[in-house]
Amino acid sequence: MSIIKAENITKTYNESTIPVHAINGINLQIEEGEFTAIVGPSGCGKTTFLNILGGLDKATKGSVEVAGVNIGEMPDSKLIDFRLKNIGFVFQAYNLIPVLTNKENIEFIMLLQKKDKKERETRAMELLEQMGIADKANLRPSELSGGQQQRVAVARALASKPAFILADEPTANLDSKSTATLLDIMAKMNQEEKATFVFSTHDQRVIDKAKRVITLEDGVVISDVTR
Amino acid sequence: MLLKLSWKNVWRSKARSFVVIGSIILGVWALLIGTGFMNGFGVSYMADVINHDVSNIQVHNKEFKKDFDINYFVSNGTEKAAKVRTWPHVKATTTRIIINGMISSPKKGAAVQIRGIDIANEQKVTQLDSLLIEGSYFKGLKRHPIIIGSKLAKTLHVKLRSKVVLTFTNDEGLITAGAFRIVGIVKSSSVKINELYAFVKQKDLAKITSIGHQVHELAILLEPHVNEAATVAKYNQTYKGDMVETWKEIAPELALMQQMYNQMLYILMLIIMTALVFGIVNTMLMAVLERYRELGMLMAVGMGKANVYAMILIETIYLGLVGAPLGLLAGWLTLSYYSKVGVDLTEYSEGLESFGYSSILYPYLENNVYLIVTFSVVVTAIIGALYPAWKAVKLNPVEALHKI
Ligand SMILES: Nc1ncnc2c1ncn2[C@@H]1O[C@H](COP(=O)(O)OP(=O)(O)OP(=O)(O)O)[C@@H](O)[C@H]1O
Ligand SMILES: [Mg+2]
Repeated sequence: MSIIKAENITKTYNESTIPVHAINGINLQIEEGEFTAIVGPSGCGKTTFLNILGGLDKATKGSVEVAGVNIGEMPDSKLIDFRLKNIGFVFQAYNLIPVLTNKENIEFIMLLQKKDKKERETRAMELLEQMGIADKANLRPSELSGGQQQRVAVARALASKPAFILADEPTANLDSKSTATLLDIMAKMNQEEKATFVFSTHDQRVIDKAKRVITLEDGVVISDVTR
Repeated sequence: MLLKLSWKNVWRSKARSFVVIGSIILGVWALLIGTGFMNGFGVSYMADVINHDVSNIQVHNKEFKKDFDINYFVSNGTEKAAKVRTWPHVKATTTRIIINGMISSPKKGAAVQIRGIDIANEQKVTQLDSLLIEGSYFKGLKRHPIIIGSKLAKTLHVKLRSKVVLTFTNDEGLITAGAFRIVGIVKSSSVKINELYAFVKQKDLAKITSIGHQVHELAILLEPHVNEAATVAKYNQTYKGDMVETWKEIAPELALMQQMYNQMLYILMLIIMTALVFGIVNTMLMAVLERYRELGMLMAVGMGKANVYAMILIETIYLGLVGAPLGLLAGWLTLSYYSKVGVDLTEYSEGLESFGYSSILYPYLENNVYLIVTFSVVVTAIIGALYPAWKAVKLNPVEALHKI
């Protein structure tokens, strides 16, 4: 069964004033364990599309099913809960709570997921180790480099073993070395934890690491290559 | 962890948090001080009036108060006073002859209420002797001693040992006069004692008027903090036909004053609370706007609205919980200090005394006021946080994350 099933998605901003057609009919299925990049020039609709897949935004037309559930018809409050339990998010920046330590940042989301204390602690430490930053567990995010912060964000996204992880340009703010490290870690987690990753990028080195590359242009899929 | 997170968020912007905590401290402090001092005015004035003038309960003939006719006596007043004195919770009783008349010195004349008092019992009921600023309590002068208030003495241009003449209509409707010599001058926060009363021995007055052992007034002083109702009921049951009144009926202005104080307090409270609400709304709104992206991220990854709302409220409550106790402490310290040493208002006392206040003010606060103030400050803080919290919940995560 596909984890994500998008059917005939369109998204038009400002319908009532000057309409912007950001997505113009996308059909897409993403299977469990994929490591997929959404690529394309700036303004082609990557962010918009990921937001719709992640239930952060609603499609104007079409339907999105995540793990068999149609999220387009879910009320907002239910959607928040659905995101909490099924989708991991990594953003370009501002991923972490600055006043909590890195470990607490990971634990916090598990707390929202109502995991018990022991599970939270072991899982957070396990993830930090996998990310190679176990020694930074009790530091604040501001005491880490940008790349390390993104690793904490990936750890947090993985914490509750979500159906898939959405990452919108997770490496946009990183130098090439950090980018490579982060991608390697993501690939490793894809292998070890069977975590499904869908990320957007316009960085060629990132694209090279993806197993499936979906290219958008003007809100439509122009190529879909699995390697 | 939400509690911990909120607590940490409070200290993100220390300067801002300190401003809010500072204003809460100031608000609580100002409320306590304001209440304490106003109470001090009110309570000490009321206590003065009760303990030195009207007593808790007064008994008269039903007709007496209509025009103070000299012939309306409390029947067997002296015997009743002696009996009531033995009742539980009764501290002291005394009797008085009361006649309205004129007092004159060689220079001036003035209206007075002549009070023929039972000097030993009067001392116990109104501590008249404690109000003396000059002279003695009916000692040293054998013939017709009189005690008057300081203001009246000034008006009449008289001093100790000066001679004054009391003129009044006697029980047969004839104008009668008697010469008295000033043995003491009293001063109090009560206008009546200072200007209106002339105290003479009951038996002197009885002789001049030939009304014998009859009295017009019976005053009953109760032990402190005892409600008057039980004694009033017992009196009415034991002796029928007299008019029995408590200080609230005799001096309705006191009750009115108390009401006025309460209203002033409410207004003060309202002003302080309003200022506090605005301060808190402003600060918390800043705190929310500053963290717009972070809050957007939290909601995107699945932090529910209830949790976001709670987080903002808890942050504000923390501010209140840090500020309120400090304010309470500051207020309590200030009040304890001044309730011991008092605040000397002698500089302004001319004006105050003409309103009937004493010139040294002792602030006074009941314990439950501390609770009420703390509670209302915390509630105010919560009210101030409602709008910012609502604002936080209303944000759209996609837009919030987009803002750079
Ligand atoms: N909130 C919005 N209101 C109106 N138009 C929008 C909004 N968000 C995006 N758009 C428009 O929709 C189109 C797609 O934008 P989107 O952000 O999805 O592109 P993108 O591929 O993520 O670009 P980038 O690589 O620069 O991040 C663009 O033309 C953009 O101007
Ligand atoms: Mg984008």
